[in-house]
Amino acid sequence: MTLSLVSLTFIAVIGLLAIGLYALLVVHNLIKVVVALQILAKGAILGFILAGRINGQIGLAESLALTVIIVDTIVAVIGLSLAVQIRHHMGTLDVSALTRLRR
Amino acid sequence: MEATTGVIWLIVTPFATAFIVYLIGRILARRSGAKLANRISAWLAALGLLISAYPLYLEDQIVLSNKVVLFKQGGIIFYLDGISVLLAVVVLLLGLLVVIFSARYMSSEVGAEKYYALLLAMIGGILGLGCSADLFTLWVWFEVMAITSYMLVAFYRNQPASLEAGFKYLVQSAAGSVFVLIGIFIVFAWNGTLDMMRIRYFLQPPLPPILLVAGGCFLIGFGVKAALVPLHTWLPDAHSQAPSGISAMLSGIVIEAGLIALLRVTSIMGAASELWGNLMLGVGALNMLLGNLMALRQTQVKRLLAYSSIGHMGYMMFGLGVIYRFGILNGAGGAFFHLFNHAMMKGLAFLAAGVLLYVLYIAKGDHGTLTLDDLNGASKRYPLTVFTLSVALLGLGGLPPLAGFMSKWQIFVAGFQTQDTVAMLLVVFAALNSVLSLGYYAPLVNRMYRLQPSVAVENGAAVPKTMVVPLVVLTLLIVVLGFYPSLLNWLTEPAAGILFLFIRG
Repeated sequence: MTLSLVSLTFIAVIGLLAIGLYALLVVHNLIKVVVALQILAKGAILGFILAGRINGQIGLAESLALTVIIVDTIVAVIGLSLAVQIRHHMGTLDVSALTRLRR
Repeated sequence: MEATTGVIWLIVTPFATAFIVYLIGRILARRSGAKLANRISAWLAALGLLISAYPLYLEDQIVLSNKVVLFKQGGIIFYLDGISVLLAVVVLLLGLLVVIFSARYMSSEVGAEKYYALLLAMIGGILGLGCSADLFTLWVWFEVMAITSYMLVAFYRNQPASLEAGFKYLVQSAAGSVFVLIGIFIVFAWNGTLDMMRIRYFLQPPLPPILLVAGGCFLIGFGVKAALVPLHTWLPDAHSQAPSGISAMLSGIVIEAGLIALLRVTSIMGAASELWGNLMLGVGALNMLLGNLMALRQTQVKRLLAYSSIGHMGYMMFGLGVIYRFGILNGAGGAFFHLFNHAMMKGLAFLAAGVLLYVLYIAKGDHGTLTLDDLNGASKRYPLTVFTLSVALLGLGGLPPLAGFMSKWQIFVAGFQTQDTVAMLLVVFAALNSVLSLGYYAPLVNRMYRLQPSVAVENGAAVPKTMVVPLVVLTLLIVVLGFYPSLLNWLTEPAAGILFLFIRG
């Protein structure tokens, strides 16, 4: 049995989302946290393409995917700039150093 | 002005003003120094908000006669109904007061024009969120609101604590928004459309399991923003570290906007309304308990207020759970009334705490944290500010005859109307929680009036006059609404009616 394009994409979507969520839970570097968020968002974008393919509205799906790419790039930029500031003021990029507010 | 273009004006005005404020603020900051630039950008921002209230006023005439305004351009649909008007009124009112408050609060900060531009963009995002009638537009406005609020939370970019709060908030919120996207593409794949009204028409019971998965993703995604337990952990950090005006906006309206977005998406899946209702009742009870218990052990004023917001989301969720599960219209009416009251009361509490933070710390150039001990005996030096803070706290605790009591009462009455044992037990639970919450509001009031003035209070600066104006306006609103709760029926009843229509299909 050969896998169809749709089921391959479906597996890719699930895989990307799973990798992103897992990475978000285990990584300790702030830059890597942003990368994990990016992987998650890429899974969602591929999901939109898959949805467009299933219901035959691939054009609409592509324009939605482009919008998601823009928004998620902005989020990445802000995340990275916050990481830069944190490195600047606290001297580390380790998540476990962010315990100032825990009580 | 045509009715349909009015929706566009309502949303575009804050963004256009944000651009102008930033441009003029930058030019003035270069030429005449930061002080003047900060003041001018504040008043420009206030003007912009007043201008965008005008189209809302025009549109409101139409919505009040039980019609809706629809604007359709390609796949983008804007739709103005009772819920949008409710959200727009709350955000414009609170936003205007916050801008007036911030004119002095932020006057010595570097780059305050960015603050006003971002604040205006956030208000625009919330207005858009209330008006969007297709899932993807809803998500885009939701993200506009989220992205601007990340930057506002981390506005003091030299303070490690606010950077930490901003990053935590960004990670949780961005992960949540991916869950929203997952929900949207599942619904899109199933229905082939993103138009909420058509989706509501397509989705008749029984719902297929894959759409329940989508609903769960929506609940997680918007639940992060609405601070549903256990997705609330960003809230106390972000709300306590943001500038006080932003804390008021975040607690007063951003988490409520998350709740409204959640209502929009769950109401189009009204075919499974019993499931959503059960989830909301459960989460609401959790929110009340955890928010109140955690608030009891706080030592910082703004953190205490932030945890109490989690508790208050619980009351709203309870009222909404009643309409989803049992179809009692009063539940939604009470929840929307409480939404309005909570925005005003928590806004007032954060602004009054902000005034005290300003006079005790910030006026001396110190970005310290306001602890409960700092407020000992504050009434001796700051009688008016402490009085307004006490009104806000007692209103939040639900003491009659303040507004907070009236909305909680309406929610509890709706709970009894269900004639369901579990719901009635939950009402008792919620009432007990309300008493529990007085366990941290009342000692704070007592501390401010009865104890000897602390060192910080004795060395405090004088209260600037412009800061007092928003406090007095909000206090009057809370007291008047407590005596005449029916004054707000024009706002809450259409919203509840629309929600009911969507749930029933």
